[in-house]
Amino acid sequence: MLEVTNLSLRYGRHLALNQVSLRIAEGETVVILGANGAGKSSLLKAIAGLAKAEAGSGVTLDGKSILGTKPHLIPEAGIALVPEGRGVFGDLTVEENLLLGANPKRARASETERHALIFDLFPRLAERKGQLVRTMSGGEQQMVAIGRALMSHPRFLMLDEPSLGLAPIVVTELFGALKRVKETGVGLLLVEQNVSISLSISDRGYLMEAGRITGENSAEALKTDPAVQQAFLGGAAA
Amino acid sequence: MITTLITGLVLGGTYALVAMGLTLQYGISRIMNLAYGEILIFAAFAAFLLFSTLGINPILGLAIVLPLAFAFGYLIYGVMMQPLVARSKKSGTLEVDSILATFGLLFVIQGVMLVVFGSNYTSYNFLNTGINVLGTNIAANRLLAFALAVIIGATLFYVLTRTRWGTTIRAIAVNPDAAPLVGIDVNRTARFAFALGTMLAASGGVMISMYQTFNASMGVVFTMKALVIVIMGGLGNLMGALVAGLLLGIVETLVATHVDPGLTLAATYLLFLGVLLWKPSGLFGKAAGR
Repeated sequence: MLEVTNLSLRYGRHLALNQVSLRIAEGETVVILGANGAGKSSLLKAIAGLAKAEAGSGVTLDGKSILGTKPHLIPEAGIALVPEGRGVFGDLTVEENLLLGANPKRARASETERHALIFDLFPRLAERKGQLVRTMSGGEQQMVAIGRALMSHPRFLMLDEPSLGLAPIVVTELFGALKRVKETGVGLLLVEQNVSISLSISDRGYLMEAGRITGENSAEALKTDPAVQQAFLGGAAA
Repeated sequence: MITTLITGLVLGGTYALVAMGLTLQYGISRIMNLAYGEILIFAAFAAFLLFSTLGINPILGLAIVLPLAFAFGYLIYGVMMQPLVARSKKSGTLEVDSILATFGLLFVIQGVMLVVFGSNYTSYNFLNTGINVLGTNIAANRLLAFALAVIIGATLFYVLTRTRWGTTIRAIAVNPDAAPLVGIDVNRTARFAFALGTMLAASGGVMISMYQTFNASMGVVFTMKALVIVIMGGLGNLMGALVAGLLLGIVETLVATHVDPGLTLAATYLLFLGVLLWKPSGLFGKAAGR
């Protein structure tokens, strides 16, 4: 169980996260829906240790606090992040990116199987394992980023807008792969603006607005929730 | 002509090694170390001292000098560079800060050397016998230095490009922000790369001491040459440093034997200028703009 309690985060005077609480159980898929600037990315960064939370905030993994853990030790705890903009190593090859993904010690024992699983999930990566990642398409780079994160043998995988800037057909392919990742028992914490496709693979969802959680429900219920309809499907968001 | 080529290749081997060290420090740790050549000369003096007072030959001397150089680099990074790195997260001025800091370090190391070793040219006699290579007579110490450069350079190249550990080091040069996502401690890795670079500078120094005279104020020449090679090869590119280093060795020897020994440094810069005009990001550099 990954649990966030009363998490607040400040950039200067701007309160990016205001007392955010959420939880995600082992193997569960949870989506956080919200418009641009709602604080979704900040939330993932705070969990990953990349942004410093305010006093009184709590992030626990199985009841043990991981708040204040150095960012490079978070993957070792079993939490992997695919950041916005992917964060791949562009001047390294696909294979090298995957090799680095298995850098945390927890990943070493199952490295070979995970490597095979990733090539099974994304056959295109297997074809291009020697290619420099910066020369690949956006969708392929996203696959590298997800594959690299999976190499760390995560219990929870956090994805920041994986569909951003990708063609609809690629998004469909990507979420098909994520569904299979979910079936392997990895918990997914997804931040998305693409409501319908992210709800289709999720168990539960939270609504976020101006740094606050404004709603929580099962994915089924959110699909027909007028608040969601109004916020996303009627608005300018894609 | 063959004489020049072989002599040049031998000299270039040492240059390539020295440049690889600077690549690690500048390309990976992002520290522009102006005291780089001083460390090299210090190691040359250390090898001289071990040889002339204790009778330890430079090959064994490497086993003593290299670990010490590594430790020195590790210490320097921790004491001098880490505060600058921490500060630069906000200011983004690591390059300027490190140039200023190591410029000071240059004078400290040089001063110590002037006091301890004096300002005279120094050399010692080690394996100074000719060996016939393809009809050319070359001093055995040069050949040995070349062989060492090849061994150390090839090992390093293999480790950096083929192992997880080496890939980790390259990763922080490629994308330091993403490195923590795969469990890399950027600070620790940068420190390690810096220490490794210091060690390479020292190995270059020991090699040069085997076949060349040197003095306490010569360091800056090596810093400049290493910098020229690194930029010529493409910043942060190991293969580039290797090729550009060999190239520089050959050009210098060509100019020294066929034109005038006094013009070698001028030739260095002419080559540098030529390469940059032809390929602004270096021989193996990627196209501008990243």
